[in-house]
Amino acid sequence: MHTRLKLASLAALTLLFGLALAATQWTLQPGESQLTFVATQAGAKFEGRFEKFEADITFDPESLAGARFDVRVDLRSVNTQDSERDSIIKGPDLFDVDRWPTAHYVADSFTAKGGGKFTARGKLTLRDVTRVVPIEFTFERANGGAWLKGSATLNRLDFGVGQGEWKDTESVGNEVAVRFSLRLM
Amino acid sequence: MMQLKNDQSRYGAIAKAFHWAIVALVITQFILANQAHDLPAGLEKLQVLARHKSVGITIFALAVLRLLWRLFNPVPAYPAAMPRWQHLAARSSHFLLYALLLVLPILGWLMSSARNFPVSWFGIVTLPDLIRPNEAAFHFLHEAHETLAKVLFVLALIHAAAALKHHFIDKDDVLRRMLPVKLKGTPDRASSD
Repeated sequence: MHTRLKLASLAALTLLFGLALAATQWTLQPGESQLTFVATQAGAKFEGRFEKFEADITFDPESLAGARFDVRVDLRSVNTQDSERDSIIKGPDLFDVDRWPTAHYVADSFTAKGGGKFTARGKLTLRDVTRVVPIEFTFERANGGAWLKGSATLNRLDFGVGQGEWKDTESVGNEVAVRFSLRLM
Repeated sequence: MMQLKNDQSRYGAIAKAFHWAIVALVITQFILANQAHDLPAGLEKLQVLARHKSVGITIFALAVLRLLWRLFNPVPAYPAAMPRWQHLAARSSHFLLYALLLVLPILGWLMSSARNFPVSWFGIVTLPDLIRPNEAAFHFLHEAHETLAKVLFVLALIHAAAALKHHFIDKDDVLRRMLPVKLKGTPDRASSD
């Protein structure tokens, strides 16, 4: 094969591969997207949310092999509708945002569960701890884009979110449910 | 043996139990509220306020049951010698005391909802939120809760002072008929009617 032909086919392949990637690479619409959590204080559940987060989502339900989630959450943007509680959550005993301002979730292993449902096996880094956190989600195409909605459950103490007296799980439950609804275009 | 129901001259054991349980719990509430007030934001404050909410809900439930009991079980008559204005004073202060026992917990519950700190009754039952989180509403409700708690404090003092006045000055049985035990050295005076 001529070198020129080789180069041409390589270029064509690269272009094709690039197009395939481009087709499954999404842009997060922050205004329509939500990242919330449900935690427990003194036995009662309450909801909070993160106002700022970024997500690089590469996902095509037909080809899970190339899928990847890369989500960065600005922990300083936590909002539980009570500034006193927010500053405790951001403080040194919980998130310690001065040292670790960002939570990072990366997933590149996906399984289809049928019926539009999927599982991602990704790793979450909170503070200085990285652990596997599986998430369950649905993917739905809508209005030229898609909705990615799902949830995960994690134990805050696995990540050291709760030092000293905040290790007490009777006043602040260990289990935290995270929910997300991401609008992708 | 102590009778359970009220009669014309005395309160029964159930009315007395309601009265004194609520007295104990209301005193507990003032202690917990003052503790929480002095604590910095933190775990201990969270715990004290959780207890304050659980006790408050208990008071509300007891007050409802007590009023139902009162409805089907009329209270003893006022002493015959008591002037009309005192009837009126007693009726209105009792009405206000009951109203505050119901209103204060509701205000506290509303406050908790407004601040997105839902109420759990001793970690056993979680109460639904009455309103959506709202900081301005929280501050208003907090003020109202505190002000009415002060009103309750003053009314309870007047109530206790009046009972002592009946006992020591009027020398009638208004105080004794609500006491859980018989006073030593005081013979059971016949009721005045």
